[in-house]
Amino acid sequence: MNLSDYKGILVVGEIYDNKVRPVTYQLISKGRQLANDLNTKLYAILLGNNISQFANDLIYYGADIAYIMEDKILENYVAELYSAVLSKFIENLKPEIVLIPATHTGREYGPRIAAYLQTGMTADCTDLQIRNGKFIQIRPAYGGNIMGEIITPNHRPQIATVRPNVFKAENYDKNRKGEIVNVKPDLSKVNLRTVIKEIVKTTQTGTKKVDEARVVVSGGRGIGSKEGFAILQELADLLGGAVGASRVAVELGWMPKSAQVGQSGLTVAPDLYIAVGISGTIQHIVGMKDSKIIVAINKDPNAPIFNIADFGIVGDYREVIPIFIEELKKELKK
Amino acid sequence: MLDFTFTEEQEMIRESVRDFAKKKIEPIALKMEETHKIPDEVIEGMAELGLIAPTVSPEYGGQGFDPVTAGIIAEELSRADPTGSIPVFYLVQASWGHVFNKYGTEEAKKEILPNVTKGKWFLGIATTESDAGSDVLGTKTTIRKEGNKYIVNGEKMYISGVREAYTRGGGHITIAKQFPELGAKGMTLFYLPLQSKGIIPQYIDDLGREGISTGGFTIDNVEIPPHYIIGQEGKGFYIVHEGYEYARGLIAVISAAAGLKSLERGMNYMKQRKAFGLPLAKFEALQFKLAEHYTKLSYLRWGAYYALWLYHQEMLGKASRFEVSKAIAMAKMFAQEWACDAIDDVMQWQGAFGYSKECVDQVAWRAIRSFGWAEGTKEIMKVIVSRELLGKEYISYK
Amino acid sequence: MKILVLVKQVPDTSDVKFDERGVMIREGIQSILNMFDQYALEEALRIREQYGGEVSVMTLAPEQAKSALQKCLALGADKAYHISDRAFGGSDTLATSYALSLAIQKTGPYDIIFAGNQATDGDTGHIGPQVAEWLGIPHTSYVEKVEKIENNVVTVKSLLEDGYRTIEMKLPALVACIPPPNFEYSNPTMSGIIKAKNKPYIWMKADDIDGDKSKFGLNGSPTRVVKMYPPPKREKGQIFTGDYREAVRKIIEHLKEKKVIE
Repeated sequence: MNLSDYKGILVVGEIYDNKVRPVTYQLISKGRQLANDLNTKLYAILLGNNISQFANDLIYYGADIAYIMEDKILENYVAELYSAVLSKFIENLKPEIVLIPATHTGREYGPRIAAYLQTGMTADCTDLQIRNGKFIQIRPAYGGNIMGEIITPNHRPQIATVRPNVFKAENYDKNRKGEIVNVKPDLSKVNLRTVIKEIVKTTQTGTKKVDEARVVVSGGRGIGSKEGFAILQELADLLGGAVGASRVAVELGWMPKSAQVGQSGLTVAPDLYIAVGISGTIQHIVGMKDSKIIVAINKDPNAPIFNIADFGIVGDYREVIPIFIEELKKELKK
Repeated sequence: MLDFTFTEEQEMIRESVRDFAKKKIEPIALKMEETHKIPDEVIEGMAELGLIAPTVSPEYGGQGFDPVTAGIIAEELSRADPTGSIPVFYLVQASWGHVFNKYGTEEAKKEILPNVTKGKWFLGIATTESDAGSDVLGTKTTIRKEGNKYIVNGEKMYISGVREAYTRGGGHITIAKQFPELGAKGMTLFYLPLQSKGIIPQYIDDLGREGISTGGFTIDNVEIPPHYIIGQEGKGFYIVHEGYEYARGLIAVISAAAGLKSLERGMNYMKQRKAFGLPLAKFEALQFKLAEHYTKLSYLRWGAYYALWLYHQEMLGKASRFEVSKAIAMAKMFAQEWACDAIDDVMQWQGAFGYSKECVDQVAWRAIRSFGWAEGTKEIMKVIVSRELLGKEYISYK
Repeated sequence: MKILVLVKQVPDTSDVKFDERGVMIREGIQSILNMFDQYALEEALRIREQYGGEVSVMTLAPEQAKSALQKCLALGADKAYHISDRAFGGSDTLATSYALSLAIQKTGPYDIIFAGNQATDGDTGHIGPQVAEWLGIPHTSYVEKVEKIENNVVTVKSLLEDGYRTIEMKLPALVACIPPPNFEYSNPTMSGIIKAKNKPYIWMKADDIDGDKSKFGLNGSPTRVVKMYPPPKREKGQIFTGDYREAVRKIIEHLKEKKVIE
């Protein structure tokens, strides 16, 4: 592999529910910054059918070239199909860096591309940097309790996946100029053995989306039971917020996966994040560290969550939260 | 060859039991103090895993486990259940299941043991009477042969699992005098189903192990079939000691485990709690107590495993009855005292809280206190060791 | 049916303790079978119950992972393959998936391959998809359940963030599993543990799998971890250890000030 043959940064976007998924623009914004640091071009690609109307936004967010790969066969996402056509595309384009959204689909087809191209892939990066011309991929390591910096020194492209809301979509400029290129998928090696029989959406009635709420009250192992979350819901309701959970609380079946905050869950940045009975592993912290105000309640004075909290109360949530609710009610009455 | 490691298989067993105990026993343990029973779900779970009377041979539903492996299971159950209810439920059935397996008739084993290992019936031991505990020969309950059946009369008292066997099913391995003139050679051991006509139970409200019942029962002309005799007529006194010894070995492991677990709670407490600006853990008065108790209980634990290992050697024909009796008595001699002393200090470190019903350690203390007399008093352990050291001619009484 | 389950032993990071500096204590951390892999195994055993066949488990790991494979045998797997060799040291997911695919070809062919969707230490989720790519077979990730296998086609339920898809794949295929919430993991039974002793446990070295040795281990790993460090700290806040009501009042005051509550 001659590394100098590889130039440019490619962002693979995602179409979901006939719309461009916001993480696409977040990665383009970050990609734009990296491309500027490397003094190179930024490409973006969308796959699907009837998607040409989305091309402009890719440019306006920062792509120099927006590739639109349209075909009836791409209308519905299928892992082995998308990985095959993207692999061929990337093989031809030869970008030095590829960014893929770490959504369920991205985490499904993405690794296949890395294996096809026999190159390195880093999953769920929480930051990306260019330092001395090197692409540094940063993510939590060892079960999420330490930060690790990863490089792909001798292989190209360097592939990184990033979860939604890790970066911000910004600098939308309708005056940006760029190129729109239509490409046909290379189906020569595709041997489709997968069929999507149905897609079912299960909408939750009444529960606020955790990654859209202004206030999140989150519970961890310290809550102790499913029932324990009821009082967190009460507090969240008072504050007009949503209830989140740590990975442990979800694994123990106390809260649904959709409420999970952390590296393998949602990344949130609300105005107020109240962490209750959460010890604060990096695994969790990377999912909420950008919250404006962090309040932590935990029995263990050594819990790492207190290192990032603006306010902390050492105590049993069963005693603290009722008092919180009481005082809050008094305050809101005023 | 000295090898203080457990086998890979034993480590897997330990892990599986520990995991089960963490998920299914720990969350419900303290509730047993109020409900006074082991939840059906837990018994079913234990049966499913193969933890009930695992000392019984596989053809009767057991696992054919050796005493050390049986000890490992006891240890993990003890760590998870501070009330001691499940450890007692386990140790009684494991020990007396072994005796039944070794000496019972084929017919009785096929009839009864599979129900025990499945968790349907409870298998207990009933030798103690109101007027006779340590003095087994003081038993007043009688058994006599009449044609093709046996008739039993008498009463038993301070028996574990009376309610369990009476309500769910099962029975107790019971000792009675068949030939009074023969003394120790005139006692017979047999299986007594507790739901038999002529059995009237009563229950005692005791200090701990609330999840398993303690009680007694009167036996009024109860008939038992010949295939329920365990071992031979007249050999009961000797056979019963094999059961006591198995149980004592398990009790020693259980006591050590409960004491060590209590010390762990105590250690966490002394690291958090401050007095005079320092965590309690910085004061040598507490450090020394911790070190002393930990040392004694660790030696107790190894002594217990050694005794259980020796018991296994006897099963393999590589050790004598007397060596085993001595080692087991040594293991149990201080088990209750050392564990209760450690737990008592853990309570003391917690000051007033240690005296409240909220404190888990007082639950453990009350549980382990029963081992001062259960399956053989600590005093009798001293009699046994003295006898083994000095010889039979120095025994003052039979 | 020949069924294979790929498994990994991971540190038990769910019960991590911290010292007074907030640094994770690494000593005494147990190693356990990755829970996602245990779920994959339990699904595989369920499929074997239904359709018959043989379930093998396989890992690429140092010797100590033996206890994880033993647990799989105790849970009901028929055979274990343990690929262990110094040559594999330092492998990233690409090198690992490559070696696994070679071992799979050597010991296969398999009708269906199960894997956990991700491992709780790395959380990358790469192995399943990459092994499938190396083998040239279709795969689905986030599979919560295998619905059925009929006419050489497997039907699975695969989770989306806000729903699920029902997907059919022609066998051979790979299924990367994720347990449903509240899943009750089985504990090995005593008889399972006893039986495990007598089941085939096959060790494989680098020489036992035919492949390009330059793609093994550190040399075969395109990614490198170059640095590890504790997480960045925010400015230390106010930690209250005394009266709860006082603490709560102060916090509410601050929230009012910052207009979080009005």
